Amino acid sequence: MEQKYEEEIQMLQQEIEMLEAEQEETLRYIFMEHGDRLQRELKSVYKERGGAQKHTLSKLITETEINGITLNECFVKTLHKSERKLVQQLRLAGHCSVLLFQVEFAVTEIQEDDALLRRVTELNIVVDGVEFKDFSAFVSRVEDTKDLTLLFRTLRTFSERCEERRQTFQHFQEKYPDVVSLPEGCRSELMIIRSPQLPGISMTIFWKIDVSMEGVVKPSLELLLKMPDQAREFDTKKVMENGSDYFQSLLRVLGVEASIEGLIRTVCL
Amino acid sequence: MKSIMETMEQGVLGHLMALERGGMGQQDQHDSQRLEMLKARAVTLRAKRDQIKQQTDVVKILKDKISKDLPLEDDAAAAGGFIEQQKSMLTAWRMQLKDLQRAHHLIGGYELVECKEGKSVCVSFHTAFEGVYLETYNMELDLTRTVQISRHNIPPSFPLESFAKQNLQKDFKAFLQTLSQNLNALAARRRQVCLLKELVGSVEVMESNQLCNILVLMCTAQSETPKAVLCTLEYGDLSQCLPTRVSIECEGFRVLNFKVIRSHDHYCVSKDERLNSIQISI
Repeated sequence: MEQKYEEEIQMLQQEIEMLEAEQEETLRYIFMEHGDRLQRELKSVYKERGGAQKHTLSKLITETEINGITLNECFVKTLHKSERKLVQQLRLAGHCSVLLFQVEFAVTEIQEDDALLRRVTELNIVVDGVEFKDFSAFVSRVEDTKDLTLLFRTLRTFSERCEERRQTFQHFQEKYPDVVSLPEGCRSELMIIRSPQLPGISMTIFWKIDVSMEGVVKPSLELLLKMPDQAREFDTKKVMENGSDYFQSLLRVLGVEASIEGLIRTVCL
Repeated sequence: MKSIMETMEQGVLGHLMALERGGMGQQDQHDSQRLEMLKARAVTLRAKRDQIKQQTDVVKILKDKISKDLPLEDDAAAAGGFIEQQKSMLTAWRMQLKDLQRAHHLIGGYELVECKEGKSVCVSFHTAFEGVYLETYNMELDLTRTVQISRHNIPPSFPLESFAKQNLQKDFKAFLQTLSQNLNALAARRRQVCLLKELVGSVEVMESNQLCNILVLMCTAQSETPKAVLCTLEYGDLSQCLPTRVSIECEGFRVLNFKVIRSHDHYCVSKDERLNSIQISI
């Protein structure tokens, strides 16, 4: 008699778990595939009882602004859920200022006595943007070590340095349109300074933003001078040879913007 | 006399039998109590199962309608049914928001919670190293006049005040970023020491400190006679989890001091005076 009840209880518990999982999956499906429609329908419902949702939403918005990372897509799939263990697969897509990313990873959570152990077990990263030319070594390393949080910390810093570069380049192009050119766009690492009165002589600034394997972001600027061979005879002060070193000293003393401005002014005669 | 004995025996036996019956009766009582309990539990679970089944059915209908692009308000969705539908939609929305929040935390974002009706805010920093999530540090910021740190559980040796002095008033975002970077580095260094103790038997951790920026290790050098080698690692940059200086001592040898520099995709230790590099894989 007892056994019969015990069996029924176990069966019911399993059924409940299954139904809850089914409900969760269906709800997620609805939001994933038909999020727009859902949002429209919910607008009216919101007015009646937005309450808790509004609060979570505004909190999310604040956190996004502070974090600098915007998630446009968030797909979650629960692979295993029991009392002590949770395994989920997540696919996130979004952007950090103008840099786009897509990550797919798996997270395992195990409840052990008084501690919750959580770890990333798989990681795939796709980044998109002109700036990511030299990013691939770092990305491979992060995929190997599964260091998801390092990826985003580095991405944030990297995007800030890229933004600084873009703004500086754009500023100078707008201020001196005859002299400054950005052959690969304002998001690239190249800026060429050339005076229309002195063809054949150009100063190219390479503003590289290097990312080490440990996620250390280091911008570095280099100057490349070009002069036609005939002009070199006149180069008694050996500017061609020493120009890039002089530029490094200038950077240390005046900083990036003032140094570039100084260079531009020399050809604006 | 005999009758008295008989009576007494009967009495004792009878007493024993009565006790036995009483004991079994208790067992019966327990049994029937347990049975009642199981019965009640089964009833509760049955009710719960039915409720969840009903909710799941509503959700399935909702999914069907939305997939086929049908209107959600129709005759079939009578008053009661429509409210159920609305509830399901809200649950879906709530679930998505929760997922987004969780995703934000998993990628290492800061968690901000408003407390005391906007007078203060709690910030949580989740740390992780190579995919393993480690400690969470919390900080409460008082917002009444200027932004001030009121409470936190960050170790006292951590230079929190100097970071606060630098950025807290001027650039909140930079303050949080610096803190996140340094706290993660601290958690990473700490974890590396733990891993060293757990995984590498031939190395003994002699000394470490709260910030884990000085590490003294006793290693055993592989040679004909195994020699004890004392390694001191200094982590000059607190925002990183790799050492900047290494010092190696061994009996009968000169003390060697190295600076750690990065070369392409590996780390080298190079002597201060000349650039003799020895490759160390970390």
